[in-house]
Amino acid sequence: MNLAGRTSRVPSWQLTLGAALLGLGFLVAAQLASEGPRVRYTSQERSPLVETATVLQAQQEQLKAQILDRRGRIGATEQADAGSAAVVRELNAQLLDARIAAGLIPLTGTGMVIQLDDSLQPVAPDANQSDYLVGARDVRTVVEELWSAGAEAVAVNEERITPSTAIIDVGPSILVNSAYLAPPYQITALGPKDLYARLSASPGFVDLIRARAQTYGIRVSFAEPESVNLPAFAGTVTLRYAHPEPSPSAVPAAAPSASAGG
Amino acid sequence: MTAVAFALGLLVVVQLRTQASGAAFAGLSSQDLTVLVANLNARNDQLRREVATLDRELTTLDSNKQRGDASIDELRADLQRVRLYAGSEAANGVGVSIVIHGPIDGSALEDLVNELRNAGAEAISVGGIRLVPGVVAIGGPGKVTLDGQAVGDPVELDAIGPPDKLTGSLTRSGGLIAQLAATHPKVAVEVTPVDRLVIPATDRNLIPANGHPRL
Repeated sequence: MNLAGRTSRVPSWQLTLGAALLGLGFLVAAQLASEGPRVRYTSQERSPLVETATVLQAQQEQLKAQILDRRGRIGATEQADAGSAAVVRELNAQLLDARIAAGLIPLTGTGMVIQLDDSLQPVAPDANQSDYLVGARDVRTVVEELWSAGAEAVAVNEERITPSTAIIDVGPSILVNSAYLAPPYQITALGPKDLYARLSASPGFVDLIRARAQTYGIRVSFAEPESVNLPAFAGTVTLRYAHPEPSPSAVPAAAPSASAGG
Repeated sequence: MTAVAFALGLLVVVQLRTQASGAAFAGLSSQDLTVLVANLNARNDQLRREVATLDRELTTLDSNKQRGDASIDELRADLQRVRLYAGSEAANGVGVSIVIHGPIDGSALEDLVNELRNAGAEAISVGGIRLVPGVVAIGGPGKVTLDGQAVGDPVELDAIGPPDKLTGSLTRSGGLIAQLAATHPKVAVEVTPVDRLVIPATDRNLIPANGHPRL
């Protein structure tokens, strides 16, 4: 009797479950094994925190993927509706514009890329080690200077900069949109072809180079590729405290109400 | 079965990531890791809520389609939500009003805005100008411009969001206001919770001229 005949008599769900449990068993063993020899921690309380952070990061990636998936399906469903009334077509066109404005749509076009990396210079005797690392302030300065030079969309290592983006330090690394990023930091900007020329002419940018690259050896490099790609923002756009303010031509509410509402 | 598959999937990701990020997190102290975990937790909760919102929207759109109805109400609601987030709609809500006296510089003002965003600010204006991508405060002390206009002294900054968190993030010991007191001694910052702020829409064109969607 051939294997196919034999296995076809085993219910397929049992085969699938069996394979899954086998795989699970291997992975649990591998996970436990991988924890043993890596004794690089300096304190006992660190190890569970690293595990927690790792799991949370994995969950974040899955949630972001789910958000991008749903947004894609919603966009497709809304546009499939477009066969009907002109008002629906018009709303869909406005929705696309609004999504572009919010950073929800990946873009491609002209622009530039700047890369920041930690210094390789030895720390001077009277200096702080953190001065030799790229910090959130450095990244924010580059982002601010890019906007000022005419950038129309900016991303840091695949995190799109939006109206809600915060860039903060966490140890020697940074969080952008609460996503953990490690150097080197690639800052991609969509903008006019002369964006790099405009950036280089900015006194604020010249100051950054002098104060960080020349003094502490922070590594700064540039690229002007034929085209740059900006990723979509994969976070939340649902606001909880801000509500639409009616335009002045609308009928005003009957009486002023307490702050909560909507 | 689904639980096993999910656990399997999660373990695969964790296994790969532990190997990669054991090294990535090596430079973080316990304190840094605690901050990171708090941030990731808060963010993941937000993302889960967004997934739930999107799932509900998808369900409504699908059931409308089944009935042959056009989803005009859903489209309008979606449009308003995205425009509000982007800064294309004026916003109202609870928040804080911040007044800055003295020779502040563009960098410090941007640090303040960054801190507010980190604490959950959902809409921010400086001198009545809605902050959206492209609008930045630049310039030396007392010479700050925003979107090409001089910012003046005092500067008024409004932020819609949770007033306690917004205030707390600025006024906590070692927080931004304490840091400014050390680096900018001539600058004074007042933070006042407000029941109802109104923040105008941007009048900037937020559609890029140098790029197009990569769908």
